[in-house]
Amino acid sequence: MSEHTRSRPAGEDSPSTAHAEPSASGPNFSRRTFLRSVGVAPVVAAAIAPETADAQTAAVVGPDAAPLTLTINGQKRTVTVEPRTTLLDAMRQQLELTGAKRVCDRGSCGACTVMIDKRTAYACSVLAVDAESADIRTIEGLTQGTVLHPVQQAIFEKDGTMCGFCTPGFVMSAVALLDKIPNPTAAQAKKALDGNICRCGTYVRLLEGVLSVKGGARG
Amino acid sequence: MVPVNEATTGDQVAEVNLPATANPNSPFAWPKERRILSTSVNRIDGPLKVAGRAKYSYDIKRPGLLFGRILRSPHPHARITSIDLAPALAMKGVKAAVTIAKPGGKVMYVGDEVAAVAAATEDQARDAARAIRVEYEVLPFLASVEQAMRPEAPTVFEGGNVKASQTEEEGSITAGFAAAAHVIEQTYSTQVQTHVSLETHGCTCEWDGDKLTAWVSTQAVHGTREGFATSLGIPQANVRVITEHMGGGFGSKFGPDVQGIACARLAKDAKAPVQLMLDRREEHLASGNRPSAHARIKAGVSADGMLTAFEAETWGTGGAGASSGFPLPYIYTFPNRRRVHKDVYINAGQQRAMRAPGHPQGCFITEMLMDELADRVKMDPIEFRIRNLPPQAPNAMWREYFKVGASKFGWDKRHATGDPTPGPVKRGMGCAANRWGGGGRGTQAQCEILPDGGVVVRCGTQDLGVGTRTLIAIIAAETLGLQVKDIKVELGDSNYPFSGGSGGSTTAPAVSPAIRVTVSKALQELATRVAPAIGVAADQITAGNGRVHAKGTPGKGLSWADACKRLQTTPVSVNAGWEPGLSASGSSGVQFAEVSVDIETGIAKVDRILCVQDCGLIVNQLATESQCIGGMVMGVGYALYEDRILDRNTATMVNPNMEWYLVPGMSDIPKIDIMLMNQPERGVIGIGEPPTISTAAAIANAVANAIGVRVRSIPLTPQKVLTALEGERAGGTQ
Repeated sequence: MSEHTRSRPAGEDSPSTAHAEPSASGPNFSRRTFLRSVGVAPVVAAAIAPETADAQTAAVVGPDAAPLTLTINGQKRTVTVEPRTTLLDAMRQQLELTGAKRVCDRGSCGACTVMIDKRTAYACSVLAVDAESADIRTIEGLTQGTVLHPVQQAIFEKDGTMCGFCTPGFVMSAVALLDKIPNPTAAQAKKALDGNICRCGTYVRLLEGVLSVKGGARG
Repeated sequence: MVPVNEATTGDQVAEVNLPATANPNSPFAWPKERRILSTSVNRIDGPLKVAGRAKYSYDIKRPGLLFGRILRSPHPHARITSIDLAPALAMKGVKAAVTIAKPGGKVMYVGDEVAAVAAATEDQARDAARAIRVEYEVLPFLASVEQAMRPEAPTVFEGGNVKASQTEEEGSITAGFAAAAHVIEQTYSTQVQTHVSLETHGCTCEWDGDKLTAWVSTQAVHGTREGFATSLGIPQANVRVITEHMGGGFGSKFGPDVQGIACARLAKDAKAPVQLMLDRREEHLASGNRPSAHARIKAGVSADGMLTAFEAETWGTGGAGASSGFPLPYIYTFPNRRRVHKDVYINAGQQRAMRAPGHPQGCFITEMLMDELADRVKMDPIEFRIRNLPPQAPNAMWREYFKVGASKFGWDKRHATGDPTPGPVKRGMGCAANRWGGGGRGTQAQCEILPDGGVVVRCGTQDLGVGTRTLIAIIAAETLGLQVKDIKVELGDSNYPFSGGSGGSTTAPAVSPAIRVTVSKALQELATRVAPAIGVAADQITAGNGRVHAKGTPGKGLSWADACKRLQTTPVSVNAGWEPGLSASGSSGVQFAEVSVDIETGIAKVDRILCVQDCGLIVNQLATESQCIGGMVMGVGYALYEDRILDRNTATMVNPNMEWYLVPGMSDIPKIDIMLMNQPERGVIGIGEPPTISTAAAIANAVANAIGVRVRSIPLTPQKVLTALEGERAGGTQ
């Protein structure tokens, strides 16, 4: 998740032809094959970490936009992004995933909270290219048809949403908390939700909502 | 760029004077037996919001959508020599660029708008904005009130950096001080607070020929339509403004704003829809704030605890050429008083209306003073306040509220100033009162009753997150004898009947009567059309429990569905509007706070708050309580954390973000209790502003009660607390 380079078929730049690629650091890749292939492929070897690059097809990504496949709520979704594009902007501006909100855009308000590989993350502070192989879960994946997730239902019933702009982030943080601690104390819940900011001041209701969801009652 | 000396507060927050009570003889009077009104109703757009499916202006996607960015001044004060858009227009993905400021014109603060671009991606737009070449002639500037008030300060603003207002005067100051047994002279101050709406300002604009559709994050869809038309020189009929959901405004979002007009121009030039939403830094710099307030006060009190005299010199800054007024003294009766206020202009973003404009400032200053005076006459602060309140009235219930609140809060356990308990953590209690006008008028609405039983209510108001949608559904359902779920509410569109901007707690009292009247008239028409089938005269028909029936004889009538079926192919469609007698203005409330202060670290924490508040007839108990909680949470931030900090050498905001501009978070929230006082006989009054007014004052008084030293400036940062304690140990303060 820390490399800003990745493998890409040479010359492929159209989103319509993009597809998910096998991991470049898969079991058949070795330092030896990398070194051997450098000689035949015109790539900027110095920019590529050997353990992550498939040298036969590797290219430096960027600065222009390139296609990228993300796995969001179990579905493969293709976006065309520059290396600097955040996961949040890729989801909001290129997919119909506007549940996560852009509020501070620097990891201090939690309105863009998503789950990446089962851990909460601020989507504004993750580059889209770094999320390529991750399992990304968003607020859109919580609701089954019109049936709300128990956390959503509880926050709704306790009036834990006003303008609603922070709500998706709080819901994601609360779901993550309850996955880890099914019956949290108020202190545990407060701590878990401290990474999210609400300006309407729904905190009291949010906390009531989260604490009203008991372990056994969650879906 | 900045319109100097132009009133920026706007009339959206002007208090509307209505009678203090409703008219019980109105043909549309609120029902005495309330089935849904005044109960707790879940907001009808709640499921959409918790599911992340509510679409805000920020979420609008249109085919071929471009993204706009604004280039802003890096200088606090400069004349623009030239603006060259060519380098930006030559860049990849860029489709349009426009100037906002003009060569020869001036920028008045860091963040003042200069130009804007639209490009295929936001990253490209950001790059292109940076590529615009602007030459500035940098001019002298003022970064603080202190700098602006120095006699040798450069004159940055036409007509002077300081503008004195008229003197407010009543009675005789000389006589007042002559009657005083004790006189206090102190200086109090409050900071600049920013709105921090989570959805930033901005919009998406799309042209279809000469017609503009704009999805705007606004508190006024109709006002914004007018703003677009006026600024762009097009007929209002050609503009449609939509605000389906909106991520908070708190007074800062009226009209299309600079970025809205720029967005519309870019969309026109690019022949493509453009979205232009501000980022968080721009939001702090250029989208409004609550002005600072400073007051040097001399006040007198008689030996028996009656206020005798009040003399104040006050000042504050609303930024570059904007006003900074606030009411003072607040609520309590000083028979002899004189006050002079000065607006001090500095090179910073202009103020805008912010939740109860002026009142938190006036409340903090006055309530601090009240506690100091009470201490001088060795009187309980509540007893002292009650002595000096104006006469009790439906819109002035503080005496009663102080009494019931004190009892509920356990005020009798309050110690005298200075917690005598050993150890570093000191606890204390404080209180403060508030008033607000509210009231509202002028709203129109439409009600359709459809042959299949459906009911649609349309109103060109907007729901800022306060529950206006739900309020409309409650009133319609109550009036028609249906359930909330049976009502379809459509709002947030300038194509719907007119409603004013949502500000100053005027929405509920403007909208509620309009809905009651319109829906009642629709029911009358339904009654007229089904009267032959029911067999009584139309004026003898009513609706209740899902039936349309003869008054007093529920059995003689039709089910709602059967009644509507008789409309055959022609629905009932009624347009009507606000009428007097169903709403009122003037609310009152008091708040109590208990705090813990660590005198070793200086950190103050609010343990609990009690709010005793009225707002006339409560429409939705649940949403009203939530508004109260929200107001108090914002008040906690104002008391302890929030501060727009400008670097004194560069006039640049050092904390234009959300990690150093501190908004309260979950762990900062005290236990909150609410006593809502229902006054159904008064009709509907707004609740948006009042609950935020008194919180900071109550907290500041509680801190003084805890530590025995008064910190006369908010926010009550650890540094200020420690400095005050140090001064006290050195024998320097009172």
